[in-house]
Parts: sequence; C-alpha cells; structure tokens
Amino acid sequence: MKTFVPEYIISAFAAQGIDTSKFVYATHTDFADKSGYLDSYIAVSNEKMYILYGEEKVVKTSGARRIVAVYEPKELEIHDLSSLGELTLERLLSTGRLCNEQDHETSILLVFSIGFISDIEKLIKVVKNIRDGIEPLTDILVDEELFCHKCGTRYPEPNRKLCPKCMDKVSITRRLLGFFGHYKQKVIIIFLTMLAGSVFSMITPLVGTKFFFDEVLMEEGSFYGYILGAVLLILLVRAVGVALNILYSYVLARTVPWIVQDLKLRIFEAMQRLSVGFYTSKRTGSLMNRVNQDANNIYWFFVDGLPYVVVNLFTFTGVIILMCVLNVKLALICFVILPIAIIFFRILWSIFRRFHHKNWVYNSQLNSMVSDSVNGQRVIKAFAKEDTEARRFAEVGGKQALVDIHAMNTSSTAFPLIYLFMFLGQVIITAIGGIMVLEGEITIGTLLTFIAYLSMLYGPLEFMSWVSNWWARCVDSAQRVFEIIDAKPDVTEPDNPVILDKIRGNIELKGVKFEYDPATPVLKGLDLSVKAGEMLGIVGKTGAGKSTMANLIARLYDVNEGSITIDGVNVKELSLTLLRNSIGIVSQDIYLFIGTIADNIRYAKPDACTEVVIRAAKAASAHDFIMALPDAYETKVGAGGQDLSGGEKQRLSIARTILQDPDILILDEATAAMDTETEASIQKALFDLQRGRTTIAIAHRLSTLRDADSLAVISDGKVVESGTHKELMEKKGEYHKLYTIQLEGLKVINMEA
Amino acid sequence: MEKSTLEAQTLASAIDIGMIDLKIAEFYVTPGGFTGLRYGENDHNRITLRRAFPIGNPEEYISVADKTNKEIGMIRSLSELTKKQYEIVVSELEKRYYSPTVFEVKSVKDKLGYVYMELLIGKEGAKYKKNCAIKDVNKNIRMLDDDKLAIFDVDGNRYIVESLVNLDKKSLKRLEPYLF
Repeated sequence: MKTFVPEYIISAFAAQGIDTSKFVYATHTDFADKSGYLDSYIAVSNEKMYILYGEEKVVKTSGARRIVAVYEPKELEIHDLSSLGELTLERLLSTGRLCNEQDHETSILLVFSIGFISDIEKLIKVVKNIRDGIEPLTDILVDEELFCHKCGTRYPEPNRKLCPKCMDKVSITRRLLGFFGHYKQKVIIIFLTMLAGSVFSMITPLVGTKFFFDEVLMEEGSFYGYILGAVLLILLVRAVGVALNILYSYVLARTVPWIVQDLKLRIFEAMQRLSVGFYTSKRTGSLMNRVNQDANNIYWFFVDGLPYVVVNLFTFTGVIILMCVLNVKLALICFVILPIAIIFFRILWSIFRRFHHKNWVYNSQLNSMVSDSVNGQRVIKAFAKEDTEARRFAEVGGKQALVDIHAMNTSSTAFPLIYLFMFLGQVIITAIGGIMVLEGEITIGTLLTFIAYLSMLYGPLEFMSWVSNWWARCVDSAQRVFEIIDAKPDVTEPDNPVILDKIRGNIELKGVKFEYDPATPVLKGLDLSVKAGEMLGIVGKTGAGKSTMANLIARLYDVNEGSITIDGVNVKELSLTLLRNSIGIVSQDIYLFIGTIADNIRYAKPDACTEVVIRAAKAASAHDFIMALPDAYETKVGAGGQDLSGGEKQRLSIARTILQDPDILILDEATAAMDTETEASIQKALFDLQRGRTTIAIAHRLSTLRDADSLAVISDGKVVESGTHKELMEKKGEYHKLYTIQLEGLKVINMEA
Repeated sequence: MEKSTLEAQTLASAIDIGMIDLKIAEFYVTPGGFTGLRYGENDHNRITLRRAFPIGNPEEYISVADKTNKEIGMIRSLSELTKKQYEIVVSELEKRYYSPTVFEVKSVKDKLGYVYMELLIGKEGAKYKKNCAIKDVNKNIRMLDDDKLAIFDVDGNRYIVESLVNLDKKSLKRLEPYLF
C-alpha cells in the first residue's frame, strides 16, 4: 500500500475489526461538516471503502518516546465499492466534496478542506483502476513524494520538493560557489589577498603598540630610541594592509558581476525551456523578480557578505589566539564579556529585522499606490478622487513614518547602550590589566595591545550576529533560482521524435480531457477531426474550452487523457520544433516584443528580406497604418514603444503568421478586437492565408465562420453539434439558437450578418 | 453633487436585483446531502449558495443559483429566514466558505520564504491543532478590518482570527510581525 498514513491509524482501523492487510490505498483528509474539523482517514480495499472519523492527539507517555500521537475513532462508514456509482469530485471555495453519482442521483460521501483535493483525486483514480480490473495504483503518484524524506514534513508546495525544515543551507551555498568554478584563479587571488590583509590588520597593534612601547620606548627594549624606523615600519605594515584590501576589492569587483551574469543567463535560458503551464501556475507571479532581484541578493551577499564572513572569522580567531598568547588571564576575562555582547547584538538585530520587514511592506504598498495612481489617472480625475487617493497615500506613508521613528528611536538608544557595555568591558580590562602592569606581571605595551585587540573583536562580533540572516536570505534566493534552473518542462521533446517531410494537416482529437487546476475540467472528452486543407469553425460560449483546444493542438500543454494526432501521428511523438513551425496561431492575445515593427513581423523568419516583410504587411492590411507612422517599419513597439490599437497589433500578428507560412492555421478570435470595417478588410487577408491549409477558426461572430467546411459547437468541454452551416441551421439546435440570437442582435443595429 | 447622487440612485433602482420571495421559498436538504429549494411551483433539487460579500458581510446578499449556475435570486439577509431555514442555508454556506477560527497561535517559524504556523483552530467549541505553511505572507496574511485577520495557507485553506484584541498576548506577539 502506497500511502503516508501512519501505523497508529492503520491500527485504529484494525481496532474496528477491519482487515487492514487488504488496503490498497489510504489517505488523510479532514471533515468540515457540522462537527467542524476532524481528522478523518479514508481507506480502500478491492471491495470496500472505509471512512474513519476521529480526533488525532499528541499525548505524553512515560516511555522512551515521551510524546506519542494517538487517534480516537468516533465514527466509521463502510461502503461496498459495488454498491457505489461513479465517484466524482466537486470543488467548492475552501472545501471539496467527494460525491457518489448513481441512478441519476448524487449524494455526498465526504466533505474535506481544499488542501486534500489531490489526495481524494488519487483515491477516485484508485477506485477506477480497481473497477477497470487493472493494478489499483497504476498512474498514482507515490504519496511519499509529497513529504520530506528526512523529517516527514509535507512540502509546502508539491511541485517544490523543498523542506525548509531540513534544507541544507551549506549544500546550496556549495552549489552556488560552483558558479565560481570558471574563475578559480581570481577566486584564489581574492581569498589569498583577503587573508593576507587580515594578517596585516592583526599585526598592526603588535607593531604599532607592543613593539613601539616595549621595544622602542623602553630603555630595555631591543630597538630603544629608533623612533623613525619604528614609525616607518608601522606605516609600511598599514600600507601593505591597505594595498592588499584595494587589490582584493578590485579583483572581486571584476569577478562577481560576471558570476551573477552567468547565473542570470542560466535562469533566463531555463525559463525559455519551460512549458507554458509553468508560467501560468500560481508561483510564477514573481518570475521577473527572480531573474533580477534574487540574482542581485546573491550578488550582494557574495560581494558584501561572504568575503567579510571569511575576513571576520579569520580575524576573530586570529585575535583570540593572539590575546591568549599575550596573556591568558586577561583573555579569560574577555570570554565572559564577549558572549553577553553577542546576545545583545542578536536581540537587537532580530528587533531590527522586524522593523525592516514592516518598512519593506509599507514601501511596497506605497509603490503599488504610486503605480495605481499613475495608471489610473484618468479614472481618478473622472471621479474627482484626487483627495481620496492622496489621503490613502498619506495613511500608509504615516504608518511607514511611525515604523521609521520606532526604528530610529531603538537604534539611537540601543546602540549607545551596547557600546557603553563594550566600553565597560574595556574599562574592566584596563583596570585589571593596570593592576597587572603595576605588579609587573605584564608590560604596558602588552596591556595597550590587548585593549586594541579587544576593540578589534567587536566589529566581527556585530557582523557575525546578523550575517546569518543575510546568509539565510541569500540561500532562499539561491533556492528559488535553482528551482527554475532545475525545473523540468511539462511538455518535453520525445526521445525519438517523428519528423514528417511534409505536414498535410489531418487533425484528429479523440476523447481529449484536460484541466488547468485539479477538479476543474475544461475539456471533458472532446472528439473532433479536420481533413487536410479544410476549414473547421469552432463555436461556443466563453469558457467552453475553445482556446484550450487550440493550445493543446500546438502542444503548449499536454492532454490529461485522450490523444491528438496530426497526419496519424500523436503530437507527443512529433518533433516539437517541427510541430510549432508547422502551426501558426493568430490569437486574441497579441504580444509585440520590444523592437521595430519590421523585427516583429520578421519574428518567425528573422532572415526575411525587406520586400517580403512589406508584402506580408500588405497582405495583412497593415501596410497603410504602418506607413502613417513617422518611422514607418522602423517604429519602435513593445514596452515603452509606440502605442498601437488592438486592431493594429492584430494585423501585425497576422503579418507575422503570413511570413511564417504554416501548414496548419489556428485563428483564435483573430478579429475580435477590430471594428467591423477593419474586420472586413482583414477577412480577405485571412481568406487568402487559409487557402490550401488546414484551418481551425474560433470565433464569436458566427457570420465569419459561415464558409467553413464544417462547424463544431463546443459546450461544457464537449462537442455537442457538428456539421456544415446549412446542416446545423436545419437541425435547429444549439448552433441555430446562437446564430439566430446574433442575427437578431445585428438587425437591431441595422446590420446584416 | 446632490443631483448626481439622486440620478445614480434612480439608475440603480431601475435594476431589479431579483430578491427571493421568502414567503414562497423553502430550502431543504436532499437525501444525498445537497441543498435544494422549492420556489413557487419550481423545485430545484440542487442549488449553489454564494455570498456577495464573503468577508465583510457574510450574512447578507446571498446568491442562490440552480444546477446550471443560473441565479434564481438573492436573499437580502439571512436574518429574514426562519430558524430552520437559516440552519439549512448557513450549513451549506459553511461548507463552501469553511474557514475555521484561530483560537491560538502556538508557534510561528519563518524559514526560507515560508512561514510555518502551528494553530489551534476549530468551530463551535471543538478545537484542533493544525500545522500550516504560508508563502507570500504579505498577500496571504491579510487584515480584513481593524481587528479581524485572515490567513491563507499553501493548500488553499483559510483561517480566520475573529478578533486580534481577544487573542492571547503570546499569540498576538507571534503574529505581530505579519500584521499590516
């Protein structure tokens, strides 16, 4: 049995007199009905389904394992699989229902909170497999894949196999350091110069204080009176230290940006490889930030963080050793003071982290408001809401100001207090050290050097107390970056792709089922076929699944069930490049890239000559409006470029497809954004484009599909009617109804269909 | 100004919301566990109830739709229903908008972009522990008004803190960094 149901739950089932050895699948859900939240477990054998409701508790025991989980069953339901009808899933807002459909009646078997929907989906699949007489767990994802192998924690996101509890920050940092591999020499120079710089920083007090006081100023010193020489030596030591620092900063600045550039490029390349589904999933909202912000987080940690971690750790260890060498007794007193300082710093930084977080959130809110206000200026002015918007801004700005005031107050109070405490430590060392000097236990040079070393410790201490948070943030950014780099596309090139010499364009969809979100099916067993060179018109209401079908044919997504074939070959077996080059889609979502109009038309064929570009534009009725623009074909479009109307963009998109010259053409509401006059001019271009190619045209205005060789009406994810315009009008079904409504509508505004 | 407000009222009042006449409406539970509505001469054996203002005003303006998702009408206020009818409607709404109340926040851990919470949740007296993970806390921990808080976890579950003022001090301190 593949499940993540713990053993004590299986025992709870057994305690009810159930033979648990027959279980083929079991899963945890909750029950959100009248009695509120209950831990319920649902198990399936080849004959029965068991639903056990109860309470799961953690209790203390006297044994070796002091805390154990126990389950108190409250109610058991047993259903014979043979007595159940078809099991279906109904998705509500924050709950779901497992339903039993039988004899045209539906009954609710179980209500659960939405988080368990994928578990229940699997359960339905298991029951279906049992009924189909195949291995029950066929095509069932192993549940364990959803849980951390080390600690059993459920992954926050099923697609992100990352357990934040167990995540090994060190291994991620190591992988990140792998990006430095190409720059080994420079990295070695950086580290050597950094370490050498630290050594020179550490010996500065030895030379500048101990040597100067004990060996130069004291009569018994070896270099008594050699002041000029001593000063030059001090200067030399300091100058070498500074020179090393300059050298390492210089090499670092010339290395890290290239590493970050490599990282950004890797992310960008990975993003090109991923399927459309990745971009439409919930977690892709901040993809652009990932390329820039996360890479920058990593950049700053490696420029401003990691090198100083190394320097500070080295300095801290070196200074401690030197202090012990100078005088163990004084060093031991320091070891009492230091931990207290560490605790102070940690508390302070955790407080500041909260302030920074709040500040960051308010800042984001203010930025959004500015953006809202800029984009919505027309509406704001139309409704005379300038003052209201200013008040909203002032409200959030005021909150941010309060956070800043708190942060500054805390900073201006806490830091002087901590520094006072550190000074106190120094005073204690001075007092005890002074007594030791008077008693002749240590020299005055040793005491002054010791005090200098003590002050050298505070910097690394302060740094190390907050750098761990910085490191955590960097690792988090790195994890998100690696998530993209490591992501596997849903739609992949087959191992041995079929390459057809020429695509004729016979398309067939058989029992196609597809859903973007679990339990929200879009296509529910769609059957369709188009003969090569013919035109199929698709009709249906918004949300019926028409555009989804177009996306599936172009393999932007893969079907969940059923198959799509082109010239008898399943699209999953065809070469992706061949497939995509053979299909041209003119859709309602037009995207123009940053560049000139000519670049955008040339997108499918970058080597197309100017004359061909103009010809394509003319064919798409785009030439006239392009020539009316000051820079004509060299007009910059896309983000920050010339504003074009929906109809103009659409014409460019058609020109782009004309240049692509595909074997199969999909027109997905291609003329939806245009006025009737423009539509009429483009219809001719589209008609020329369709000639001799298999065309699937999706349109709301049915008049544009009248000449199609055949028509299919899609409703609720299925084809409900098909035939020619004439046949469907005679049938007086769904198509007739839609057509008549549109015709009546057009008559009202004195137009003919 | 006054004139335009009056015009707006006139315009708005020209639209009929289509309130359900509760005198001829009877909500009932089907043997399969669904909610049905006998409305005049029509019997809708499976209806969908939706709140127009699920967060700010969950007891008013409830849309009643039939099996095909076509709206039959709206209930202006649940308080207009009889006790029995109220229970049936609220029970169905609770199933759709199941949002357990948070009684206590036992622990909060912020790790690598996710906030892990151990909550004591429940409804109507029964309390249960629940571990949940929240990402994008700025989006998924939301103040609904000055005192009410909603938490949305990565699984799509939602939890409500009915009153921050009435929450114990420790819980409030744990939530404090995420309240905006």
